[in-house]
Amino acid sequence: MKEYLKIANDPILWLMCLPVIIVVAIQAIIFSKKAFQAASSVELTKKEAKTAFRIGAVSAIGPAVAVFVVMLGMMAVVGGPMTWLRLSIIGAAPTELAASTMGATAMGVEFGGEDYGVLEYANSVWTMTLNGIGWLVFVGLFTHKLEGLRNKISKGDSKLTGEIGGAATLGAMAYLVGGHLLAGGAKLVAALVAGGGMILLVKLSEKYPKLGEYNLGLAMVMGMVAGVIVG
Amino acid sequence: MDNRNQTYHELFTKPIIRTGKWTVLLAAGLSFLPPLYLWFRYGALPPVKNILTAWFLIVSVYGSYYFIEPISYFPVLGVSGTYMSFLSGNIGNMRVPCAAVAQEALKVEPGSKKAELVATLGIAGSIITNVIVVTIAAIAGNSIMQILPPVVIKAFDYVLPSIFGSMFAMFAVKYPKYGAFAIGLTLFLLGVVKVLPVYVLIPVCVFSTIAFATRSYKKGKVANKEEQPATK
Repeated sequence: MKEYLKIANDPILWLMCLPVIIVVAIQAIIFSKKAFQAASSVELTKKEAKTAFRIGAVSAIGPAVAVFVVMLGMMAVVGGPMTWLRLSIIGAAPTELAASTMGATAMGVEFGGEDYGVLEYANSVWTMTLNGIGWLVFVGLFTHKLEGLRNKISKGDSKLTGEIGGAATLGAMAYLVGGHLLAGGAKLVAALVAGGGMILLVKLSEKYPKLGEYNLGLAMVMGMVAGVIVG
Repeated sequence: MDNRNQTYHELFTKPIIRTGKWTVLLAAGLSFLPPLYLWFRYGALPPVKNILTAWFLIVSVYGSYYFIEPISYFPVLGVSGTYMSFLSGNIGNMRVPCAAVAQEALKVEPGSKKAELVATLGIAGSIITNVIVVTIAAIAGNSIMQILPPVVIKAFDYVLPSIFGSMFAMFAVKYPKYGAFAIGLTLFLLGVVKVLPVYVLIPVCVFSTIAFATRSYKKGKVANKEEQPATK
């Protein structure tokens, strides 16, 4: 094992990463409580509220397991604690690895190379941290102002707000899937099969509402199986 | 603002903004613990000049995302979704899909306050799952990897196209016109124009589709109004 990796896996370093992860969990719990408290004012029953939480928790299993696989690669270069911290908050593996590389570059060494020691690793950690707070500080300071922007476009028409939300999701997802479609081959097939599968599942779950909770997981598995068969 | 809106605002929106602000900013502050620990425990503090150089390098790559992403995803996530998703990350591949699936399963009216609460709960559920899975992976990841058959590991390569494909399809069924517009525009920009950087592509795709939807919605409304007298 490289020298810096011993320090990168220092047991106390795990402890230093823990507080941020606790804040993430606490925020999710407080927000859920507030949603439960406000539920009756918009005719959302407690049962529906619980179902919503459960659907979110179940649907996240697939994507979270995918993050898991990426994590292992990252742990090998920046250690367990920092990977644990960085992938529990904003920023994905490619972003964090880019930041680590910049940290090494600024020290004049190659990331993970022979001369990459403790001091260079520390610079990578600083870079990941400083990059990550960019999103956090913007969101912390300005999110409440964005609400006004949205109301200005929709002028309080909630049906239009809904249409805008749908259109925005389509724009974002079209962008995200676009690269995979153009990549062709197995990725194209996976995207198409998962998309077709989802359309079928949505139609089916009109008859069997219980099924709807598993739509994302099922469509994802269909796409993955198709990708493996073709790929 | 009528009474019910007022109640909702007092019960939900106000406390969410308050909590959202302090949790996100606190997390930003606490994320400095690891580099500070490396300094105090091991004396590993790089020269300030090198830290600033690295910061400059990374900001030149991602700096524009700091505000473009929250603004672009805001119409999708709303206030509470933005605070949660930008603290916990994995927005396109986890938060948005989980919120959307919860809303779809409970058949809430898009854009309503009920829809916002359902999205909040769906995202919160997904965050708890994520924290658990990431923690397990950090502790036991390597040993788990060894027992997974290679075909399963290969299948993970197709997670992202599958999630994005199925999400796109779910919404395209509801809004086929917007879907056609969004995918046509994206493929044109990615496949034909090719030169636009990502920080331009995302907002262009999102806001052009919003503009298209707003225009056709308003047109539809005007058309309805004109038809109504005739049907009486």
